[in-house]
Amino acid sequence: MLAALLGGTTSVFAAPAQDQSRAPAMTPDCAVPENDIANPAPLPNLIAKLKKKTTIHILAIGSSSTYGTGASSSVASYPSRLRPILVKALKGVDIEITNRGVAGEMAQTTADRIIDQVALERPDLVLWQLGTNDALARVPPDEFEATVRDTVSWLKAQDIDVVLVGLQYVPRFARDPSYVAIRRVLQKIATEENVLYVRRYQAMRFIERMRANERIMSADHFHLNDLGYRCMAEHVASAVIINLFAKPVHSHE
Amino acid sequence: MRAPNEIDFWRGMALATIFINHIPGNFFERFTFRNVSLSDSAELFVFLAGWSLRFQTNRSTGVPVFGLVLRLGSRAMQVYFAQLVITEMAVALLAAAAVYYDASFLLDWHNAAAVFSDPVKTHVGMILLTHQLGYFNILPLYVVLVACAPLIAICARYASWLVLPLSAALYVVTLSTGINVPSWPIGGSWFLNPMAWQFIYVLGFVMAGKDGLGDFVRRHRKVFFALGLPVIVCGLAVAITHFSPRPDSVPSPKLFFMFDKTFLSPARLIDLLALAAVFAGSFPFLMRWIPLPVRYCSLLGRHSLNVFCVGSLLSLTGQIVRFAYGGALLTDAIMVSVGLAIMGIVAWLPEKRDAFRKAVPSTKSLPAS
Repeated sequence: MLAALLGGTTSVFAAPAQDQSRAPAMTPDCAVPENDIANPAPLPNLIAKLKKKTTIHILAIGSSSTYGTGASSSVASYPSRLRPILVKALKGVDIEITNRGVAGEMAQTTADRIIDQVALERPDLVLWQLGTNDALARVPPDEFEATVRDTVSWLKAQDIDVVLVGLQYVPRFARDPSYVAIRRVLQKIATEENVLYVRRYQAMRFIERMRANERIMSADHFHLNDLGYRCMAEHVASAVIINLFAKPVHSHE
Repeated sequence: MRAPNEIDFWRGMALATIFINHIPGNFFERFTFRNVSLSDSAELFVFLAGWSLRFQTNRSTGVPVFGLVLRLGSRAMQVYFAQLVITEMAVALLAAAAVYYDASFLLDWHNAAAVFSDPVKTHVGMILLTHQLGYFNILPLYVVLVACAPLIAICARYASWLVLPLSAALYVVTLSTGINVPSWPIGGSWFLNPMAWQFIYVLGFVMAGKDGLGDFVRRHRKVFFALGLPVIVCGLAVAITHFSPRPDSVPSPKLFFMFDKTFLSPARLIDLLALAAVFAGSFPFLMRWIPLPVRYCSLLGRHSLNVFCVGSLLSLTGQIVRFAYGGALLTDAIMVSVGLAIMGIVAWLPEKRDAFRKAVPSTKSLPAS
């Protein structure tokens, strides 16, 4: 699989069309249609680094969903679950994931920490999970947008790909105006900046609606449980892998 | 009660600003000075804390070294206990709000989640200051600085020329190596690195002195004013454009050239010093034209620790209010006005108490009948 990737040309940079056959299979509990998982976007810098390096350093930063609130232990958090999936999919590449989730943190503070982390560790990929706390603290959407956009373009300008991981699905806030507005802003930034955006909200809602007996939330009806985090890891992995192997539209046989 | 003075005024302004800035998204946040400068109220607060350390050591001239250590050491304990109390109160405030609004996610806010999900380790971490709540991370830095104050004061007494070079050396080593105090039980490090931030504290201390750098700065005040102006303009440009240097475009050690808050990169430090150089001396002018706000800020500044603690809890309350009632302009206006009023009352009460004490002499001082 990696050989195919390494053999790829610059044409992989172009393109939204996805080769879904290469995506790691999702477990039945977590399976969600691809369209519900992510907004496709290329990961050119990660591809370039995969060609040169044997170890890829990923920074997973964000709030409680990254830290793993509600999980039975830190190894059940989504970054910990993500690593083996990526190692399996990208054979021959070692993956290091640093978890820098701080529960309840807002994007503005995380943005400061991203600058610091990038200066110190220079990750190859940043997974930024965000939005929920800003929505609940009623941060104005335009302010949130400016913060996220500044940081995303700052990362892009130095050839670091970023994946935005969106808000979780919480039935209580399904119609909450701030919650809806912050989700819209993330979608907008992802489209305009052409960065990969994992639509957690849609993916979780799909599972909740289609498999009503399945519990992916912990007892507080807000945080994920171990199964929820496993699904989150599978969804992020799927989004990353599919977009790594994205093919340009014109090369379709 | 001392008359309003420059240091108390700016300290009070920093306190009011921190209160407003720590309610993210509120309308009045856009009028605080971090929107027009690179540095913000945290730098100002720490710089002025160093400045007032000089006043304390000056008052202790003639006091034996051990006495000085005891005096400054007890202050460090006071700040440490204040940090523990407000952290616990913040945790309780979030818990109460979570129960009242049936909103368990409030238990998450500002890194509080671990207190509830991993209480065994986290309680140890809170006492060790390695577990800090978001927006409650200035005081732990202050605890470390005040704990080091006896060392600074002793060094200043016997070899005053050595204070600044030692501090600068630690700052350079910290930024070159990227070392920081680790946080625990949650991985990571302190949001405000004390080994970097001590430099601005010591600079405040040294500049407040009547000799050495303090004397030099005062004698060349006009030069520093002229140097400060273009720096402030650059800070303004950076704040407006949201420019932030990229690590791949600056030479190593990179922390020297970035605008890093955790490590107090030189750009932020210089910006604060420029603001100080330009606005120092504006106090009499401000006192004349806007006496009421100046008196109010000076009142806050005279009781900075109490006001800081209450302000931190009020900010958190403000965040909860915004969650519950939405972020309308009217909510923000009421919240900020009530908050500032409470901070004023907290500062005013001990002054009133002292005034009563003076008016009615205590029985101890009465002559025996």
